Amino acid sequence: MRDGWDDERLLSALSEAMKARQAVPSWFIETGKNAFAWHNIDAELAQLTYDSSVDRREAAVMRSETASIRALTFTSAHLSLELEVTENSLLGQIIPPRGGALEIHTRAGEISTTDVDEIGCFAVDPIPDSPFRLRCRAADGTDVLTGWITL
Amino acid sequence: MRDDPHVVALVTRASGGDQDAWFEIVDRYGPLVYTICTRYRLSNHDIEDVAQNVWLLLVEQLGKLRVPAALPGWLATTTARECLRVVTATHKAERLGTGLDDSALFVADAAIDEEILMAEQNAALRAAFAELPPRCQQLLSMLISDPPRSYAEIHAELGIPVGSIGPQRARCLERLRRSSAFAALGEGEAKINIRGGEPGA
Repeated sequence: MRDGWDDERLLSALSEAMKARQAVPSWFIETGKNAFAWHNIDAELAQLTYDSSVDRREAAVMRSETASIRALTFTSAHLSLELEVTENSLLGQIIPPRGGALEIHTRAGEISTTDVDEIGCFAVDPIPDSPFRLRCRAADGTDVLTGWITL
Repeated sequence: MRDDPHVVALVTRASGGDQDAWFEIVDRYGPLVYTICTRYRLSNHDIEDVAQNVWLLLVEQLGKLRVPAALPGWLATTTARECLRVVTATHKAERLGTGLDDSALFVADAAIDEEILMAEQNAALRAAFAELPPRCQQLLSMLISDPPRSYAEIHAELGIPVGSIGPQRARCLERLRRSSAFAALGEGEAKINIRGGEPGA
């Protein structure tokens, strides 16, 4: 179809193509390139399946009570991670319950660790002020990683 | 374009751990992801969040894409979904109780499909341009620069006699047309069912 383009048309299409590339900020491309660092991480990915800030039904209920609370659920094939955010704390539970360790990964590549008790509960303190991912390494060997979380 | 062997090879190589192939995927389709973000009128901060999630999901899906050449469609759909999530959350926070209509937040599927086609065309044109000899690249770059450069300026900078610029321009564009990257574009155009759904769905 584009064989029918005359020189003017082709030149202007080329111009558009170059402009589209130049319009993309370099930090945006860097973000994409850096994501490859997560390639081949040997953990199962947990998808965000519920977010009270997006799901309207639940949000309507919560608004009347505590405006600052937010609930998130991440689900993988083997377990779910339920997070509850209030003004001062980030609490979570692994379901079905099991103990282990929880890693908090920042974009800068820093990792901190907190304990998960036998009934699967944990607290992240302080609440990260920049985007982070949680990696749950359960005592039974289950290894699950969430996507980026911004609170 | 769906069957562009170059795209299939890129996905296969990146999936096998080849970082250069991944960088090329990001360079090639970064503009598509970015353009869709701008359609949702997100702030730079939100665009970065969306980009983080989209590329992360792709890194994790690389080995699972059943039709690697359908990558642009997958990227566009995933980006639109992530944008919508951000925009819904932001909008909800701003609009508590105002009863604004959420439908204003949606970018039509047809608009996204159009972006995919444009992204394919643009990526093919940039790839075709990269295949040209340096001489042609210099000449065409000057011809498409904004503001446009005069033939006198082109002569001064590249040393091409003014009378030869027209014929050289025609030859360079003909090479562009005949390049393999540009040819791949034409072949794929009939297979328009971009995102694997029913036409018009």
